[in-house]
Amino acid sequence: MLDPQQTPAPNAQRAATWRRYLRFWGPRAEADVDDELAFHIDMRSREYMERGMTEADARRAATARLGDLAAARTECIAITSRRERRMTRAQLVDAFVQDVRFGWRTLGRQKGWSIVAGVTLALGIGANTAVFSVVNSLLLHPLPYPEAGRIAFVYQEPTEGNSTGMRVFVNPDPELVALWRANARSFEALEPYVSSDQALRASDGTQSTVRSAWVLPSFAAFTGTRPLIGRVFTGDDVAQGGHVVVLSEPFWRSRYGGDSTVLGKSVTLDRKVFTVVGVMPAAYRLPRLSDAVSDVWVPLDLRAKQRGLSVIGRRRPNVTMADAARELNAIYTRSDLAKGDHGEFRTKLSAPSELVSFRQSLVLLSSAVGLVLLIACGNVAHLLLARTAARQRELAIRAALGASRVRIVRQLLTESLLLGLAGCIGGALVGWLGLHALVAMRPDSLPELAEARIDRATLLVTAALAAVTGLVVGALGAMHALRHSAHDALKAGALSLSQTRGQRRLRSLLVVSEMAVSTVLLVGATLLVRSIVHLQTIDPGFDPRGLYAVQVNLPRTTYPTPAARRTFTQQLADRIRTAPGVRAVTIAAGAPPSRSFTIGALQVEGTPDPKPGTTGFVDYNGVSPDFFRTMGIKLLEGTTLTDTTRQARQALVNAGFAKKYWPGQSALGRRFRVVYDGKEEWTTIVGVVADAFTGGLTSEASTPMYYTSGQDLFEPVLIVRAAAGADPIANVRALMTQADASLGPPTISNIESALQRSVAGPRFTMLLLVVFTMLALVLAAVGLYGVMAYAVAQQTREIGIRIALGATRSTIAKTVLRRGVAMAFAGAVVGVLGARWGSKLLENMLYGVQRTDSASFSIGVLVLMLTAVAACLVPMRRAVSVDPLVSIKAD
Amino acid sequence: MPDATTDFLKGTLDLMVLKTLSWAPAHGYGIARWIEQCTGDVLQVEEGSLYPALHKLEERGLILAEWGITEHNRRAKFYRLTAAGKKQLALSRDYWARFAGAVFKVLETAPTR
Repeated sequence: MLDPQQTPAPNAQRAATWRRYLRFWGPRAEADVDDELAFHIDMRSREYMERGMTEADARRAATARLGDLAAARTECIAITSRRERRMTRAQLVDAFVQDVRFGWRTLGRQKGWSIVAGVTLALGIGANTAVFSVVNSLLLHPLPYPEAGRIAFVYQEPTEGNSTGMRVFVNPDPELVALWRANARSFEALEPYVSSDQALRASDGTQSTVRSAWVLPSFAAFTGTRPLIGRVFTGDDVAQGGHVVVLSEPFWRSRYGGDSTVLGKSVTLDRKVFTVVGVMPAAYRLPRLSDAVSDVWVPLDLRAKQRGLSVIGRRRPNVTMADAARELNAIYTRSDLAKGDHGEFRTKLSAPSELVSFRQSLVLLSSAVGLVLLIACGNVAHLLLARTAARQRELAIRAALGASRVRIVRQLLTESLLLGLAGCIGGALVGWLGLHALVAMRPDSLPELAEARIDRATLLVTAALAAVTGLVVGALGAMHALRHSAHDALKAGALSLSQTRGQRRLRSLLVVSEMAVSTVLLVGATLLVRSIVHLQTIDPGFDPRGLYAVQVNLPRTTYPTPAARRTFTQQLADRIRTAPGVRAVTIAAGAPPSRSFTIGALQVEGTPDPKPGTTGFVDYNGVSPDFFRTMGIKLLEGTTLTDTTRQARQALVNAGFAKKYWPGQSALGRRFRVVYDGKEEWTTIVGVVADAFTGGLTSEASTPMYYTSGQDLFEPVLIVRAAAGADPIANVRALMTQADASLGPPTISNIESALQRSVAGPRFTMLLLVVFTMLALVLAAVGLYGVMAYAVAQQTREIGIRIALGATRSTIAKTVLRRGVAMAFAGAVVGVLGARWGSKLLENMLYGVQRTDSASFSIGVLVLMLTAVAACLVPMRRAVSVDPLVSIKAD
Repeated sequence: MPDATTDFLKGTLDLMVLKTLSWAPAHGYGIARWIEQCTGDVLQVEEGSLYPALHKLEERGLILAEWGITEHNRRAKFYRLTAAGKKQLALSRDYWARFAGAVFKVLETAPTR
């Protein structure tokens, strides 16, 4: 009889270990259950046989006793495989927790090391977080409208002859917009809009200038916004003449104190009476990427032929930009409008992100922070390598005790991922601080920067960066750890020799790469710095101090003709001229910093006629004779304009223009014309003036030609020169009210600060690039220092021996320095090549500096080499102070 | 033979398995034999449900399985009781004792007239 007390062997040996290993290659549940049941049947049959059955009978009886064998088997397998799956998972989690705990302890043991590595990663990741949050808000989500991915700006551009170097937007005709809206099937919505300043007189008689936006009733639905109180416009409002107005929330709060009884009240806009019907929340905005918010909203009537319409549209799903543009263009070319246009226009669509003014800078800065992160990675990889080397023995012992390579690699990776986690948290913090600093420092010309937020997408990117960084860096360290066998590492004496070769090469490679990347950034930053220095020291060609531009907004209702506008402006100019503190006043088509263009092709007398239909854009300014004196632009040759009517067809050109077309000769008396339909008369050059950057300091060229403005100024601007120290703004405002009390206050801007503002954007980009470059340089210097210090520490004995053998301290110092400088130099060479290629990113951002500017390259390399020498100083001092006696005895 | 007796047994099978394993680790056949012997072959363990029951107990963490070698040098899967199994055994035993006692009382008590 079997004694159950004895059947189970409490000290049963473990089954052959290979079986347990087999389990790694898949679930063994089936085999296990089969084995178990087979064993049972065997035992039972043996029992029956002992009772006298034949073997066959015994087997049959034993099997029969198990009942429904197949069902039992299936059930057991199901239970076991379920349990095994759960166990595998639990085991993984358990091992992971163990790894994390161990990693945490290891990192904690070397606090200094961990902090340096963590901070390095945090800086690298943080810089990327800050820049990405801006990229994310500005480039990826530039407009706060639903389905932003399908939104595009719609405009027209000349098919050829755009010589301005800028993107030229031709606003579509209102009639064309109506045609598009009626016929375009590629679009769910096409929304025209226009905005301008208007004089608002409230019912209590107070007067102010407001920003009005004209939109169609469908615009509210397009933006997905509902009114805060009241309603938006309807088609009926438009049909009835559109005398309704919707206030914006900020305007309503500041002007009406958020009083809801404002509904139904009337306001006067440019002498027309409107009824307030609603208030829209602050989020309701025109698709302007950088413009100020609108104060009031008025219904747009496409039949009213209001000029200067911008158009934004939302494509239907699955319609490409190209297809949509093609359809709109086809509608245009089929229409009568196309036949009326002299030049050829092409309909274009642009994604909102393409029109972000800061776009190019963001691409540049993103690349820069990417490089900073690379350097940070290099440093941490190097730190990990140094530590792995120091831990070689610990790892070897663990390997000898049975830890598999996989397990050790996993351990190292877990540690670097922990570092990555620290870098992620630190990076989010640094990024948050960085973004705040960035927004606080932003120039006025980039108001959209204030929109940048750290959102979920940004944090995801931060986490992903940290994870990838941790993995890459960890893998590098782990690969290296694996290359050294336990055998080598345990032989203590062989330790330092076996690892130095490969490690030294890898470390040198890391440092050289860091140096190369730093060189690229240094050269780029130097180029931008030199460009900004150029912009700030450039002679604008006129004297901007005390210059003010006064833009009077004359409503079409009261001043319908150009002549009426001109007369009013002229009279106002005469009044202002006599005001105290005003030295001179002139009227022009445009005041700095702005450019005016005339459409056509420039033809100098004596050259062949340009091809018909060429629609170039030619810079010009329409001015009065006293423009040059008021502006302080030097007359180099000839006279200023002598007639104010345009009858004589006189022009002044700048020195650059004269030199380009008549090099070495006088331009006086020469004639040119801007050909549009081929019938234009020739204009005679009566004078040559100095180059003046009235288009802003960042415009490529100074204004080449000045015509008599004549009577047909579209929107004349007054340019006022104030006496030194005088502020004419109050006087100008008062005089204007005297001239016409119904007008809103004029827009007055200080030209000097406006010019400075035109440089503010580029200067901001430069500042950021310099900051990132400094960061990169410091990190790279720390990297070089680390490698040098490590090398000196490793070679203490060798240095000791050399000193004992008679090497002088200066020889030792030179050896150390030579190695550091050699690595930096190698990096610089690679970096210069990289910078020559990478400076393409700066192409349109440099003013007065070539992107291959050798001075910038030299300065970049010089700064790098000096930094490298500085980084070598401490290791050098340590090397020369090695005591031969102590070092040789050590170990 | 799915009659009342075996159904009744199913609920108590877990308890008997746990009790058996409380003496020493055992393989499935050993457990079956022990129960049969203890009850003088009155209770025949329905083997079709024994193994699923064992696997379920293992899944619940009440017992632990390990491959080992019997004294006849055969490979067999041995089960032993875990700490959780011991606790469960104590609980089930108390419950069973009270239950059996209650049933017995019902069987023994005759109505008084």
